[in-house]
Amino acid sequence: MKRFVSRGDIVVVKPNIGWDRLPEQAANTNPEVVAAVVKLCFEAGAKKVKVFDRTCNDPRRCYKQSGIADAVSSLGAEVSFIDERRFRDISIKGQVIKSWPLYRDIFEADKIINVPVAKHHGLARLTMAMKNWMGVMGGQRGSIHQKIGESLADLCLVIKPSLTVLDAVRILTANGPQGGDLKDVKRLDTVIAGVDQVAIDSYGATLFGMKGSDLSYVKAGNAMGIGSMDIARLKINRLNV
Amino acid sequence: MSKQVLRKISQGLFLLLFLFLFIQTESKGYDTLGYPVRLFLDFDPLIFLSTLFASRGGQIPAGFFLSLITILVTIVLGRVFCGWICPLGTLNTLVGSFRRRHSIALDTNWHKAKYYILVMLLVSSVFSLQIAGIMDPLSLIIRSFSLSIYPLVDNGLRALFDTIYNTNISGLIGVSEAVYGLLKKSLLAFRPLFYLQAVFIGVIFFSILGMNLIEKRFWCKYLCPLGALLGLCSRYSVLKRETSEGCTGCGICANACQGGAISEKNDTWRNTECLACFSCDDICPQNAVSFGLGRHKNQAMNLGRRQVMTSMLSGVLAVPLLRSTPLSKTAYLNPDVLRPPGALNEKEFLRRCVKCGECMKVCITNGLQPTLLEAGLEGIWSPRLIPRIGHCEYRCTLCGQVCPSGAIKRLPLEEKIKVSIGLAMIDKGRCLPYAHAIPCIVCEEMCPTSPKAIWFEETVVRGRDGKELIVQQPRIDLNLCIGCGICEAKCPVGNRAAIYVTNIGESRSQANRLLL
Repeated sequence: MKRFVSRGDIVVVKPNIGWDRLPEQAANTNPEVVAAVVKLCFEAGAKKVKVFDRTCNDPRRCYKQSGIADAVSSLGAEVSFIDERRFRDISIKGQVIKSWPLYRDIFEADKIINVPVAKHHGLARLTMAMKNWMGVMGGQRGSIHQKIGESLADLCLVIKPSLTVLDAVRILTANGPQGGDLKDVKRLDTVIAGVDQVAIDSYGATLFGMKGSDLSYVKAGNAMGIGSMDIARLKINRLNV
Repeated sequence: MSKQVLRKISQGLFLLLFLFLFIQTESKGYDTLGYPVRLFLDFDPLIFLSTLFASRGGQIPAGFFLSLITILVTIVLGRVFCGWICPLGTLNTLVGSFRRRHSIALDTNWHKAKYYILVMLLVSSVFSLQIAGIMDPLSLIIRSFSLSIYPLVDNGLRALFDTIYNTNISGLIGVSEAVYGLLKKSLLAFRPLFYLQAVFIGVIFFSILGMNLIEKRFWCKYLCPLGALLGLCSRYSVLKRETSEGCTGCGICANACQGGAISEKNDTWRNTECLACFSCDDICPQNAVSFGLGRHKNQAMNLGRRQVMTSMLSGVLAVPLLRSTPLSKTAYLNPDVLRPPGALNEKEFLRRCVKCGECMKVCITNGLQPTLLEAGLEGIWSPRLIPRIGHCEYRCTLCGQVCPSGAIKRLPLEEKIKVSIGLAMIDKGRCLPYAHAIPCIVCEEMCPTSPKAIWFEETVVRGRDGKELIVQQPRIDLNLCIGCGICEAKCPVGNRAAIYVTNIGESRSQANRLLL
């Protein structure tokens, strides 16, 4: 972690806390994974670690029921609900998005760490790292579903995490992105970390028996040079703990 | 310490308790609230009786039996509830203190008005019409606070802090944000609250407070039906006011009396009007007034046979009058009235709902809103869900937990998620994938049931240029849809959603069924 976080840094750790679901339902990032990342940040000397998400269900329930608020606030992280006043219009030189209100804290932080969960999604097929940035979008963010691939890639032009940690401890294979039925949850006990979001998502697709090129946003991210979807050329270290 | 000081302390503490429980009527993200937030309503014998009568032997929530304690205490000690506990009474006293002179001594018979109101309300409830909550002081104050006063204070403070936040005075912002942060954790609502009829309900409430400027405790003396009920109970109470021989008949006590129980010459004392405030005891220059326990000679309470008959008749007539609306003809004439999950069928629901506003206060999305005439005059200020304001949160069961009268049943989560409050329908003329071949499917993403009630069909359509495209078009599984309305709430077709919920198919109604 010392490679990514320097002493005195303000770090944003962005999990997926979108849904009023329990950890075992795998609709939100696993609280233990988020807690582990937060702990490592502090160990690396981070001054402040902020954790937040713009939720889909009621934020109070999402933060509590996901287990994330309790897991990280005890470590000293600053867990806050989204404050509508903190969205700023950010101009993006994207293919489809030219400007969007994004959460200020992302741009004020020294480092950002993306901690998504891997799960099924009706429109995008899967939601992992790149789609997790919808959680810092203000306004009527559902509209980007109209061109989801290009929009998510556009977003990644301005949001540049130092590290991405994809939680695949439990993955949700159907009825996503919120699931609900434990039959749709598969336990993999896997965590994938890397610096290239596109590559992470491309690799994540293989957990579901897909390829990166099956996902519109991975293809778009690859084409725009945000990252590489070619996992054959990645350097992958497999660690068993 | 004089009894009057004790009484003021009691009033202050109960008002604080009331406000504390009121503020706690809000989710913290857990499945329950952690405090008995409807406590004041549980102790309210007026809505207990009206619910008991109107629901015709239906099950009465156990909490309501606490109100028998109020009755017992009143039978022994008189209207101490009015003088020492009632939060509306306390606010009336506070506002009344801005009026210098105590009383303009309205015609001495005006105090009878509240008994006529009581008789009317209770007789109506015997004939199944539940309108006691409109004038019940606890229902009234909780409703007014929930829907009007609290949002007013909350939004006002937010506007103030936002204004400072948007200035460029950095030192000031630091201080104000720190204060704002503290307030957000304590007094302020989780998010800005908006209610239909906030102004209407607020005007009524401020008018009631304003009446204190005409005469102190105007409401309590002349209008309050709960005060009347407790007055009847206190008829034979053992708390007795006595005047010793030192009394000169100066009339100071009559002027100080909060309930209008003492006549000008201090020759009569109506114990049914006495709020046990002890103002007369404290103010007497001769120290001639004392209260003790004992039997006292009751001044006969003569409400007048004809007047009582008239109020009873009004109570009876109110029933068909308020129900002479086409809404009575069909239970579902207004398709947009979505009742909260766990609500009894409409007839039973209206017989119980006391319009206290607790469910609307606690609703996690602010989606529960008061009706005006959508459910008939009988159903005024009863709760309806307006998904475009806020959907029914799938795993939330709070409205059923706070309802005092059982109009909304308390459902465990496993049952609640199976209760349908209506069904969603798609407006294909506005839905992006249907009308414009544009990908969207946000409704499917948001649909909380498992498996999802909203699914999609991949359809091949042709664009203007003749090229074929595949779009996911949403469809609704009517067997799975519970009408929670999150699809309508989040539909990106901004002003008027392309998917909407009406009450057809609601579980509580046999008549309003859609499927075989």
